[in-house]
Amino acid sequence: MPAISCQGLTKHYGSVVALDNLALTIEDKVIFGFLGPNGAGKTTALKIFTGLSRPTSGRAWVAGEEVVSHSRSLQSKIGYLPEEPAFYNWMTGREYLTFVGQLFSLSSRDIKKRCGELLELVDLSRDASRRVSSYSRGMRQRLGIAQALMNKPGVLFLDEPCSALDPLGRVEVLDTLVRLKEQATTIFMSSHILADVERICDVVGIIDRGRLVVESGVEELRQRFAHPVFEIEFEEPAASFVGLLESLSWVEKVNAAAEGNLFKLRVSVRDVATAKVEIPRLIAGSGLTLRQYQMVLPTLEEVFIELVGNRKD
Amino acid sequence: MSSFFVLFKKEFRGQLKTYRFLIVIALFFVFGLGTPLLLKYLHALIPAEDAVIGIPEFTAADAVQSYISSLGQLGLVAAVLVAMGSVAGERESGTAAITLSKPVGRGSFIVAKLGALSVTFGAAMIVGAAGCYLYTVVLFGNPGGSNFLIASLLGALYLLFCLAVTVMYSSFVKSPLAAGGLSFVTLVAIAGTAGLPGIKYYSPGALVSWAEDVAMAGGPNPWWVLAVSIALIILVIVAGWRVFKATEL
Repeated sequence: MPAISCQGLTKHYGSVVALDNLALTIEDKVIFGFLGPNGAGKTTALKIFTGLSRPTSGRAWVAGEEVVSHSRSLQSKIGYLPEEPAFYNWMTGREYLTFVGQLFSLSSRDIKKRCGELLELVDLSRDASRRVSSYSRGMRQRLGIAQALMNKPGVLFLDEPCSALDPLGRVEVLDTLVRLKEQATTIFMSSHILADVERICDVVGIIDRGRLVVESGVEELRQRFAHPVFEIEFEEPAASFVGLLESLSWVEKVNAAAEGNLFKLRVSVRDVATAKVEIPRLIAGSGLTLRQYQMVLPTLEEVFIELVGNRKD
Repeated sequence: MSSFFVLFKKEFRGQLKTYRFLIVIALFFVFGLGTPLLLKYLHALIPAEDAVIGIPEFTAADAVQSYISSLGQLGLVAAVLVAMGSVAGERESGTAAITLSKPVGRGSFIVAKLGALSVTFGAAMIVGAAGCYLYTVVLFGNPGGSNFLIASLLGALYLLFCLAVTVMYSSFVKSPLAAGGLSFVTLVAIAGTAGLPGIKYYSPGALVSWAEDVAMAGGPNPWWVLAVSIALIILVIVAGWRVFKATEL
């Protein structure tokens, strides 16, 4: 049984279509990355899955239950982190987690134990006795993640979980999410940080203007939707070489950038077979000093831009 | 512990930690002490030669009546100001979305708020009434314990009505200011109906004038006002819950 699924999920806000016939199937114990530009419908979908919002039409199932508004049974099985988590500022971090534990009717002993574990997990143990009002945005985000995990949820919904975190904090949170997946938690996360999604997600769904553009494994997506890319590094400027490449019919696009003494090219091609033969030959004939040459699959960002960027009006 | 008690405890602790509890208590205390004090020394404050009309000699009943009358105005304003952000503020800040993503009923969420506000204003009423009674006895003599108690209870019921209406509006809209404005206009309009023939025997606004009559040991007992007020309190709580239940966060 899938951990999360929906059929024909549609949501209208007046004349605005926030979700348009969304259909998803997310298997158990995976990290699902939900990608899309601002206003694509990611948060709307998350709110429907968590029972905070009702669809105009369509049905959704989470953790084996059909999603209906205010279902306490469903809410006891899930965890939810909104995009900008808000807390009662007069509480300390530990008091807030204790409050959340009480809402799940956990015993005092379990709450105390779980608070200690979660504060340690999100690196807030030293600040647990400080009022939330004094927390930085990153600390609030980490507290938000901790509260979402209080009930050891089977399905975790995270709306932009890393958006407020510094690079180190992001790495820690992403590692935590991977560990949670290993402990049999299904994670549904929306994000605009494509590198994070690429790093930890098993499956991604890309949504644009309320419609699901694609749902696929990350590797499969890169193979399926992107043109292969060749990376070339020279030890001196190669403007004439860039010009030469751009004049060839089998070359789609050349991005060039200087980094210190290195001149890096990223070449997208239309005909991989021709490129594999021709590029080494052209490099050899250019007289430039080659530092590195490799064929790489495009990043998720490039796939995303190809799928969503091209649809812009 | 049921989610209602968890939420009630949280609400009440919030009022303590944000000093709202202390501020309301202090307000009612000052107001309870101040009313008989003001009446007693009004002659000293306004010398007879400066007064356009003669200032009568006040009695203990006048002091209590004046206290109850002011309660209907100052209590209304305090209730609206303290309760207007109770639900709307949580929706606006986003705390409601996290709390209500847990296994918590929306009815519990609203009733816990009204419950905690009622405890705060109930405690403030006790402190204010005790202050008023004490100073009235000292400055004017005994106003009559049972009349004072009944008048205070009627005043407390009026405040509960004001709180329930404000919490209801707070659950209707996302802006605390809009909730406060709607509540104030509604409550002032209801207070205005206390003087209208026919309606005055049913309007919750008449609770204050009834309490004033009790303080002066006279006037009829419009029991329908009591019944209608209690029914309306229940009705506005249910309305607030129904609308909030249908609200998307």
